[in-house]
Amino acid sequence: MSKSLLKRFEWKDKLLALIVPLLVLVAWQSAVSLQLFSEMILVPPLTVMNTLVDLARTGDLTNNIISSLKRVLSGFLLGASTGFFLGLLMGLSSLLDRFVGPLIKACKQVPQFALMPLIILWFGIDEVSKVVFISIGAFFPMVFNTYQGVSGVPKKYRELARVFNYKSFRYLTKVILPGALPSIITGVRHSLGLSWMFVVGAELFGSESGVGYMMVWARQLFQIDIVMAGLFVIGIIGFTMNIILQIIEKRVLRWRVSFDGRMA
Amino acid sequence: MSIGKGILEIKNLSKSFIVDNNPLQVLNDINITIPPGNFVSIIGSSGCGKTTLLRIVLGLETNYEGDALIDGEQIEGPGINRGIVFQDHRLLPWLTVGENVAFGLDGKSRKETEVIVDEHLKLVGLNGFKSAYPCQLSGGMAQRAAIARALANKPEILLLDEPLGSLDAMTRMHMQKELERIWLFEKITMILVTHDVEEAIYLGDKVVIMSSRPGVIKKIIDIPFTRPRDRSSYEFMQIKSEILEEFHLGVEHPFIYSI
Ligand SMILES: Nc1ncnc2c1ncn2[C@@H]1O[C@H](COP(=O)(O)OP(=O)(O)OP(=O)(O)O)[C@@H](O)[C@H]1O
Ligand SMILES: [Mg+2]
Repeated sequence: MSKSLLKRFEWKDKLLALIVPLLVLVAWQSAVSLQLFSEMILVPPLTVMNTLVDLARTGDLTNNIISSLKRVLSGFLLGASTGFFLGLLMGLSSLLDRFVGPLIKACKQVPQFALMPLIILWFGIDEVSKVVFISIGAFFPMVFNTYQGVSGVPKKYRELARVFNYKSFRYLTKVILPGALPSIITGVRHSLGLSWMFVVGAELFGSESGVGYMMVWARQLFQIDIVMAGLFVIGIIGFTMNIILQIIEKRVLRWRVSFDGRMA
Repeated sequence: MSIGKGILEIKNLSKSFIVDNNPLQVLNDINITIPPGNFVSIIGSSGCGKTTLLRIVLGLETNYEGDALIDGEQIEGPGINRGIVFQDHRLLPWLTVGENVAFGLDGKSRKETEVIVDEHLKLVGLNGFKSAYPCQLSGGMAQRAAIARALANKPEILLLDEPLGSLDAMTRMHMQKELERIWLFEKITMILVTHDVEEAIYLGDKVVIMSSRPGVIKKIIDIPFTRPRDRSSYEFMQIKSEILEEFHLGVEHPFIYSI
């Protein structure tokens, strides 16, 4: 009984979350209908929908999404894996932490979009510079969260591992990594989220494909409906990624929640 | 009892921690020899260094003065000949109860592991909870799982730091019986820290009484009774009040007031 009650609450929450977006849509549509703004500047939602359908039908949209996703995937894999290993090493070795920790923290303070001109200078304007740019976005959340997770594994569990003679690989896979996992997953989520933002940013700096490219190109031709359709697509994809990762998180971290929802 | 392996000798052992840049003497000149297969209970007020003493024997505290020897060799780190049930249960929250019990088993086949885990879960009365997570257990169940984990590894010396602390009176007595049974069967050394005087007498060949600031051994009392012991026998009660006396809680000589 309590389970169905829980389900109903979840549904209620989901419906509540839809109210504000719906209100915004209504306000948006009425603002255009009442001619408060020109249709050229504020395209009505229905037009955006139509544009979206058109774009999808020609295959342009899918192609652009695929090429953006490809970049995200390479950039994310590069940046997140580098961040993961560095964070892991820093968490395990306080010496390394003291050497590179402060540097990484300082670098994080630099707005990464400011690096784009430099990256273009070093890596050219083609794919490589975009992937590098995305990987920088993906790197920071991963290195910090992994570090925090690994160094935050409680001493009592480390002691337990020592008592049972756990060493190197076994120690890492049975104690440290599972203990750090909640934090690592948070890292993955932020890292992927930033990768997705950075890909659009990278594509704004000149490219021949991608969702960001589609929007720049449309803006130049003053096709605001396509720009807005692009925004919509970016939002939906980012949202979907987050949801998928949350589902994975729930599955992987099932040990954290007990019968009554207490955290361990 | 024949002298097997794992004789524990503690000689002139002292230990201090640095707290706020000042040394804090926690243990002072501890001397005790525990032959293999002995059951020793330790009681003493909170903060007198019982856990610290166990941690030294376990090998987690290595910075001490004096000697802590097992079979004549200085203890320099943890080893699988020693096992512990920590004061906090320390089950790994990301492993199921079964996996936790199997945590110390290394180099055993899946089947062997399975058999050992089942056997030990049954022993502590947790058969149905093999695939539960620790956060789904009560405090007492978690303690019992921790006991199963320590036993599964078959240590020569088992250290028990208030292992039955959060059990209800009935389960507690049952677990005391089980511990005694396991001890008689496995013939291992057990060192039990407890706050329960009755438990200390019921299980111990010796009861070590510690007092605090700094922690010293105040008295070691031999318990000569045959097992299983009768908690309500006259001799049992007498030793109990003798020990309580040590804590100035005796009731044998109440003050007599007169007006
Ligand atoms: N790592 C440490 N650093 C500094 N002081 C410590 C440390 N560990 C223990 N102590 C101190 O040593 C003393 C003895 O602690 P210990 O945990 O051994 O007591 P205990 O007899 O087990 O107490 P309880 O019955 O409450 O468990 C306490 O005063 C404690 O503050
Ligand atoms: Mg203690």
